[in-house]
Amino acid sequence: MLDIKPTISALRRSKAGAFLLLIQIAIATAIVSNASFIVYDRVQYISQDTGYPEDEVFSFSLNTFGDVEDLSQQMEQTEQLLRNMPGVIDAVYVDSVPLSGSGSASSFANLPRDQNEQENYREVRAAYIGADEHIFEALGVEIAEGRGFLPSDVIVTNTRADLPPVAIVSRSFLDEMFPEGDGLGQHIFTGNMGAQIIGVVEKMKGPWLKDSRPDNLLLIPYAEASVYQNFIVRTKAQDRSEVIGKIEDLLLEQYNERVIINLRGMDESKARYNAADLLMVRMLIVLMVILVLVTALGIFGLTVFNISKRTKQIGTRRALGARKSAIVRYFLVENSLVCVLGLAVGITGAIGLGHFLMTEYSLPKLSLYYVVATAIGVFIISLLSVLIPANKAANISPSIATRTI
Amino acid sequence: MLTMQNVSKVYTTEKVQTHALRDFNLEVNEGEFIAVTGPSGSGKTTFLNIAGMLETYSSGQYLLDGIDIGRLSDNQRADLRNQKIGFIFQGFNLIPDLNIFENVEVPLRYRGIKSAERKARVMECLEQVGLGSRLKHLPQQLSGGQQQRVAIARALAGRPRFLLADEPTGNLDSLMARQVMELLEKINQEGATIIMVTHDPELARRAPRNIQVVDGQIADFSLYQKQLAGTEPAVAEV
Repeated sequence: MLDIKPTISALRRSKAGAFLLLIQIAIATAIVSNASFIVYDRVQYISQDTGYPEDEVFSFSLNTFGDVEDLSQQMEQTEQLLRNMPGVIDAVYVDSVPLSGSGSASSFANLPRDQNEQENYREVRAAYIGADEHIFEALGVEIAEGRGFLPSDVIVTNTRADLPPVAIVSRSFLDEMFPEGDGLGQHIFTGNMGAQIIGVVEKMKGPWLKDSRPDNLLLIPYAEASVYQNFIVRTKAQDRSEVIGKIEDLLLEQYNERVIINLRGMDESKARYNAADLLMVRMLIVLMVILVLVTALGIFGLTVFNISKRTKQIGTRRALGARKSAIVRYFLVENSLVCVLGLAVGITGAIGLGHFLMTEYSLPKLSLYYVVATAIGVFIISLLSVLIPANKAANISPSIATRTI
Repeated sequence: MLTMQNVSKVYTTEKVQTHALRDFNLEVNEGEFIAVTGPSGSGKTTFLNIAGMLETYSSGQYLLDGIDIGRLSDNQRADLRNQKIGFIFQGFNLIPDLNIFENVEVPLRYRGIKSAERKARVMECLEQVGLGSRLKHLPQQLSGGQQQRVAIARALAGRPRFLLADEPTGNLDSLMARQVMELLEKINQEGATIIMVTHDPELARRAPRNIQVVDGQIADFSLYQKQLAGTEPAVAEV
């Protein structure tokens, strides 16, 4: 039998320790629920599929300080040099690099701006990258529908020119812009300038994973050369580091009045972009472990204290016929009562904290699954924390009852 | 109903062996009221602990109602204590966080007795010791004598065949001690067998049977009677 009623009576008469423990359990439950949810959310974010073979791709930037007459010609020579390197699958000049944290984005519409008062006018945000027809092979993505760029689509220029009349988009952008599913072949507009969607890539991410639309990306066949040039190169995964090692010498041999910067694999770029998130995940895990440990130690300590305070009482209970298991059960029930109350407060606190984080810091809505799982975990840990001292208490000899000290 | 044959208890530490009881022999019959006396450290409490199954013994045989206690497991001893023995301690040993009613109820809960019957028995026992109106009081709100009466009610609640009392009046003034003693005598007259350890020669004299424990053994009883009567010196001259 669990003897809940007299245990509650006893608890009511020695509230202080139990109350502190209750608060500790409540705080641990509220914080660990939310922290574990945030950790899961961030881990999902960090390990998300970007659509790119990140271990095969690398990128770098060239900053030319020498006096070059035709930058676009130099850019194409550089591309050619890279493509001819042993181990390179393809290489391309780009105006920005996916997952790098740096790029361009704009609002695109399904109608020219001068028709923006029409009822079906819709604007969708997307990042865009200009490159030639090698971009798909260099990024390791495939055209799912429609066609890729033809060399004749590509505009290569040294000065700002009109945008080309075609674009290839990610599925996410296409579906958002044309929810009816008839987007391929339609036109999209920036201002009054339109481009036809000629192809769709199933999945590709823009420069910013934290963008409100990280999956919306447009590729346009446009390469405007400048002194600052970005290149994307793809190799087989096992060849990548060797190719990266040879890049600098080779490029400077071709033309030495330029510097190579930001030479890194796509996985590394992504990791740098997500470094703060990874740090947060680690900090939160440490915080959770500390909180749970402190709570477990608190329960352990309070039980040890209660046992030392009640040695004679335990001996008396044993003398009156309590089996060892009844003593263990007594402490388990006592702890469970405090724990259940603490969990009730903690669950309410967790939901409240989750709501606060959602409204104030735009975090996703806390899933109740995390609250329940945390509550169960805290309850189990609290029982385990009681078991060791309670078993010790059960071994107190009943003869202690007849000792006068 | 209680038989000890050559019961010994040896405490062994790293360096020394202490014989708390040596070849202790005793036969207690139903309805007896026995006072156990003896100097400090003579083994009185060890005897009481073994009789009440609070401690195990090192050798010999102890039969309680024909049951060989030496063969019982810890759980079986706990159950038997609960069913057959009521304890009265010198320090009362009431549980401070439980009120009077809950304190008396404790052994009945361990026996798994249903709530209604528990209530009836607790009330009956508290009425018997004259505390039927103090159910909600906490032990510390009662006098020492009242606390000991609660402890007696707790010992009686399980309707044990034996009451083992360890210096039941040791912490009480003489008036309260007398009241408690009168209560024990009344309980004995109603049929309970009582073994009482005491230092108090006056209390011991009131018990129909006295045994003296010296060095872990029962001393010569007739000599002890004379010592109590004052016709023999307590310490024999050599």
